[in-house]
Amino acid sequence: MATKMLKRTGLPLDLCERLSKYQIINCRDFLSVSPLVLMRLTGQSIHKVYSLLKIVSKACAPKMITALEMKTERCSNPSIAFFPTSLAELDEILHGGLACGTLTEVTGPSGCGKTQFCFMMSVLATLPISMGGLDGTVIYIDTESAFSAERLVEVARCRFPDYFCTEQELIKMTKKIHVYREFTCFDVLRRVESLEDDIISKGVKLIIVDSVASVVRKEFDTRLQGNLLARSNLLSNEAATLKYLAEEFFIPIILTNQITTRMGPREAVCFQPGSVADDLPLSEGRGISPDGETGYATAALGNTWSHSVNTRLIMQYMDFDSRQIIVAKSPLAPFAMFIFTIQNSGLILQGSSHVISTTEKDKGNTIICRLPFKSHTILIWKHVMLHCPWNPLLSSTLGLPSPESNHTVVQ
Amino acid sequence: MQRDLGSFPLPPALRAKLIGCGFHTAEDVSAVRASELSKEVGISKEEALEVLQIVRCKKFGEESQASTGSPSLRKCTALELLAEEHSQGSIITFSSALDEILGGGVPVAKITEICGAPGVGKTQLSIQLVVDAQIPKCFGGLGGESVFIDTEGSFIVERVAGVAQAAVHHCHLIAESGQDEAQQEAIKEFSVSSILSRIYYFRCHDYVELLAQAHLLGDFLAEHRQVRIIVIDSIAFPFRHQLEDLSLRTRLLNGLAQQLIAMANDYRVAVVLTNQMTTRFGEVCSSLVPALGESWGHAATTRLILHWEGKLRFASLYKSPSQKEATVPYQITNCL
Repeated sequence: MATKMLKRTGLPLDLCERLSKYQIINCRDFLSVSPLVLMRLTGQSIHKVYSLLKIVSKACAPKMITALEMKTERCSNPSIAFFPTSLAELDEILHGGLACGTLTEVTGPSGCGKTQFCFMMSVLATLPISMGGLDGTVIYIDTESAFSAERLVEVARCRFPDYFCTEQELIKMTKKIHVYREFTCFDVLRRVESLEDDIISKGVKLIIVDSVASVVRKEFDTRLQGNLLARSNLLSNEAATLKYLAEEFFIPIILTNQITTRMGPREAVCFQPGSVADDLPLSEGRGISPDGETGYATAALGNTWSHSVNTRLIMQYMDFDSRQIIVAKSPLAPFAMFIFTIQNSGLILQGSSHVISTTEKDKGNTIICRLPFKSHTILIWKHVMLHCPWNPLLSSTLGLPSPESNHTVVQ
Repeated sequence: MQRDLGSFPLPPALRAKLIGCGFHTAEDVSAVRASELSKEVGISKEEALEVLQIVRCKKFGEESQASTGSPSLRKCTALELLAEEHSQGSIITFSSALDEILGGGVPVAKITEICGAPGVGKTQLSIQLVVDAQIPKCFGGLGGESVFIDTEGSFIVERVAGVAQAAVHHCHLIAESGQDEAQQEAIKEFSVSSILSRIYYFRCHDYVELLAQAHLLGDFLAEHRQVRIIVIDSIAFPFRHQLEDLSLRTRLLNGLAQQLIAMANDYRVAVVLTNQMTTRFGEVCSSLVPALGESWGHAATTRLILHWEGKLRFASLYKSPSQKEATVPYQITNCL
């Protein structure tokens, strides 16, 4: 614990008094200072300073645990290590589902199904363990006002008709999902930092943040000086707090992200899993340059954020009503691609899975432009078509935003 | 010895008193006895003794053991070093191409840095190395234990168990095909649970915990003499977001690097660090470079950069004192 006060580390009290005059009050201050300066501040010889460093280090260093102990702890612990997503082939490739204690990011173009996925996961988390759930409550941090309770109930009813046959069960389920609406970055960060108390008091087993990208991109224009650093810092702090919560309470955390185009040389037309579009200014202004540069879709929020999440699932449009979900980054799973559609009961996988080995050529990609808001208009679809001439499908009827929910339903 | 007293690590108050009484160089002080020194300068006898011992570079008491794990003057001939290097071996990665460019595997008593974009396989490689360090000597491994310091939370035990299983299987195949007695013996002890029990895992949540752990690692290694590899995954993460003061970050990183090099040499361990990539904005285009700055590049002896090229993963040896620069493809399977 970095902020442990020196008084509690076992250092002699008069020394702590003396150090506090120089603004060294916790372990972090003590360890950030070089030994020579410490010598001057404490008035001790170098050898004594080394032993003091050891004392302070012992107080804030992590405990050692062997991997075997970790494994036996996991096996003996009744709570499961993976949260099944109820998409059978996806679960299989992920060794059981979303890994508890890690951050999973779901990213994709607007309207692809990320929020639907979140709804599905929320319902699943409230189910008892025998049915593949986590038997706990869910914290849903909504930054886009996309949460629709009606849709949630519809998913529950259609996916598990036997379980949710009575009103009683539905009411119980909806009571377990706590929705927080936050609309600025600062609010989101503050909410995340205060989640610990809620987790303990409400027995939370899943945290969903939908979406991380929308607030950040609204507030930080990376073309302005200094904003890049501020944005990275904010995201890193958020990621660190979320990781700490995930590990401390051993729960999965789902985050949603957006897509940005990255303009690159011609060879890079293929989808690059986990590729590294960094915090560069968004390139929509450039379009297709004369020497044939085309763009490819990558997750937004930059390189630093990509390092912070443990698992990354990317959704893309494939053809008219089917989409793909790609396992792009995972500590356990190889690349895999699954086709799914969105129906009444949430996401349904179609066809067989498709593990991408490194020798295969990739098949067909779409270039999706950034669609920051949910207010689709036909104009934007046309814009998309211009950039993907090999995708003839997007010309047919488009649904209008339905009144109760915020989604565009593609007929 | 005409060495000035100011250059010794004396407490400042003592030093001021000594200089006030006219002692300016080491020669002046060492000529005097402890009790005489204490009377002249007006300090206690213990302090006088301490001063004399520091000046004369003698080991004393328990306090000195912290800093003097090895004699301050180490000299040996290049021939001795050659013999040492031959005998200590290196840690294989189970990917023959990678082993080749590294000159047999990850070298012991050196710092190796692995940089790469997210998702390219750095954590996988670290997990592989942590398991490979435990392969018994008769199979060509080091038969040692491993320390894994995790700052990102990507260490998932199930994956480690999978990699360990594959390694055990591999060794079984070798033992069965050969007739070596020693191999048959060793294979009985080499199992997934024995591998897991010899991986020491530390989870550091921020840079302060990492620094604290580095201070204590020396003692840990002295107690566990069998440790042959330390992996820090990743060293970039805690330093990249909590420290706004870049000069503080550079200083802390340099201190950390020095401690790790000292440990690597004293205890004969291989140190593997994982780094992240960041963009450097150039005039024409921007390129990906390893994070943590230019000066950090000097800390590692060997630098391996993992990157994508289309669908394939490549590993490039970027910096090495003994091997040529090369790029090879590799794949992540159940076993790397």
